[in-house]
Amino acid sequence: MTATPVGTASTLVIAPMLVVLVAAAGTLLLGRHPRARTAVSLAGGAGYAIAVAAIDWYIVLAPDAPGIATYQVGDLPAPFGITLVADGLSAFMLTMVAILGIASLVFSTRHLPGGEGRSYYFPLFHFLALGVTGAFLTGDLFNLFVWFEVMLMASYVFVAYSGGPQHTRAAFWYVTLNLLASAVFLLGVGGIYATTGTLNMADLAQRLAEPAAYGLDPVPVVGLLGLLLSVFAIKAGLVPFQFWIPTAYRAAPPQITALLAGATKKVGIYAIIRLSFTIFAGAEVAVDLPLPLVGVAITGDSPLPFVGAALFVMAAGSILLGGIGAVGRDSMEGVFAYSSIGQVGFIAIPVAIAATAAGPELRTFAIIAALVYALNHTLAKGLLFLAVGTVRSATGTSRFADLGGLAKRSPPLALAVFVGSLALVGIPPLSGFFGKFLVFDAAARAGSGPVLVLLLVGSLLTIAYATRLWNRSFWGARTDAVEAATVDPVQIAILVGLAVAIIAVGIGFEPVYEFAETAAEAALDTEGYVDAVDPQTASELAGSNGGGH
Amino acid sequence: MTGVVLAATIGTLFALGTFLLLRRDLIRVVWGLAIISQAANVYLLAMGGIAPATAESVPILAGHGEHVPETADPLVQALVLTAIVIGFGMTAFALVLSYRVYEEHDTLDVTELGESE
Repeated sequence: MTATPVGTASTLVIAPMLVVLVAAAGTLLLGRHPRARTAVSLAGGAGYAIAVAAIDWYIVLAPDAPGIATYQVGDLPAPFGITLVADGLSAFMLTMVAILGIASLVFSTRHLPGGEGRSYYFPLFHFLALGVTGAFLTGDLFNLFVWFEVMLMASYVFVAYSGGPQHTRAAFWYVTLNLLASAVFLLGVGGIYATTGTLNMADLAQRLAEPAAYGLDPVPVVGLLGLLLSVFAIKAGLVPFQFWIPTAYRAAPPQITALLAGATKKVGIYAIIRLSFTIFAGAEVAVDLPLPLVGVAITGDSPLPFVGAALFVMAAGSILLGGIGAVGRDSMEGVFAYSSIGQVGFIAIPVAIAATAAGPELRTFAIIAALVYALNHTLAKGLLFLAVGTVRSATGTSRFADLGGLAKRSPPLALAVFVGSLALVGIPPLSGFFGKFLVFDAAARAGSGPVLVLLLVGSLLTIAYATRLWNRSFWGARTDAVEAATVDPVQIAILVGLAVAIIAVGIGFEPVYEFAETAAEAALDTEGYVDAVDPQTASELAGSNGGGH
Repeated sequence: MTGVVLAATIGTLFALGTFLLLRRDLIRVVWGLAIISQAANVYLLAMGGIAPATAESVPILAGHGEHVPETADPLVQALVLTAIVIGFGMTAFALVLSYRVYEEHDTLDVTELGESE
């Protein structure tokens, strides 16, 4: 038996999943012991951060790092078993989630909403993290579906968690939409299996690159990729699939909303990047889609131009709808929910530019821009939603009508929110500046005037709603609710920590950029991905096993 | 022939599911979801097809030594098994949620629920 060598790097790949799984099971068993539960939960969070940091260093960033590592579950060789793959892109995403996850976890130990359901909070939290982690690491399309479901099931309960009539209703819509999306996901997966005969992503990329050698007709994958794209767009909350976001984000506890916006949304973005660029980019399909009504023709020799065109439309809609919607909201989380629709548009624009890019240089650059912007959004929006949690636990409300004068009541809170808002707007030297700058630069390099105008309008809308939020809740006369507020120091410490992270990313941007560059190169390196996974055919396998008996 | 029948069945199931999903009654909506997820399962099974078994698809039959019978693709069956379990759990959850909605709003009518916002 010539099994794949199980080295440290290989075992590392599965480490973060094992850590969260143990933490989830542990907190479930300790349901009746709040202190032990919290301790296990925090230990799980710390272990997760260590595992992710180890992946970052030993697999991606160290001078002699392999850049990519795989773990074949059950030691079954690809494509017969499930493969887990950690490369630069996965590591970048995991790092984002780990930073925000720790902040949200520590926050949760200080402010745990809900009554009798409390003992299920931490298990669900870890299952949510497990689903997100699995989605980032899996190298199998059906397995991706399963991790999506794990992630969604935890999030369903969180949306209904607070237990009020409006929460139940929000959860019902959320469940309905996502069940429908799951069915569509299955349609895409089934169709791809019928077309190519495999669901292993590396095997898929290999077969699509040389359809003739495997005797398949790859044309249907363009449409099937479109189906998958719509599912991922629902997760990411891109227009026209954004309608669930405001109600669900308002219903979930704020520290979970921080994760929904910072982590599960990024799963949608990650899946779009991974599938479109690593897997389907090499597919030899002549795409020729004349659209006489709008006077544009989508042509190319891979599915990417089609993905790019679809993403452009969705991203433009998101930026406009999110920005305009956010200006008119009457509560903090309402503004941030709409804002996160708009911000995802800002992440999708460079992805679309990458998909339609003429050369590999611009393509890499645009993906870097998307990743840096995603990092900024995770940090800033995570901070802002956690701030909503702080304001709510301090004053009991987050409606503008009941707020005012928070800046003088708690200067550190105001400072943290100020930094978070400026990061959304994109003021130097914060992380948001580089995010915005790279996105604008990518659009300029692509030479697309309308996209630049769109980005500019989106940025102006961001300034408008950030200013309005600041005026309504932090300036002005103190209301009774603010006067009676008691602000939790640990929560403030977490917010300030995230604010410092935002500033640190902005000031020490060089290593962050290099990490994003490694991630973008990994996302575009189909060959490296296929080589690392090394999918075999049954006959090769039989040969290496000495006849297969 | 099998192909046409399967296609028609899957199409009918999806049509029925979509119709129920668009009703005003929440319970019908849940039924619609259940039918659509089952339709997706049938579709998945159909995507595997029936083919002469080879070492590629069913290794255990290839090692059997004798005549290898025509088989359905085993992989999609494993996939469908997973999908059925997930779909079953989610349908139960959606039913519980709709009961809770009824308790809290005294109605299962989607339009009335929307107005109570």
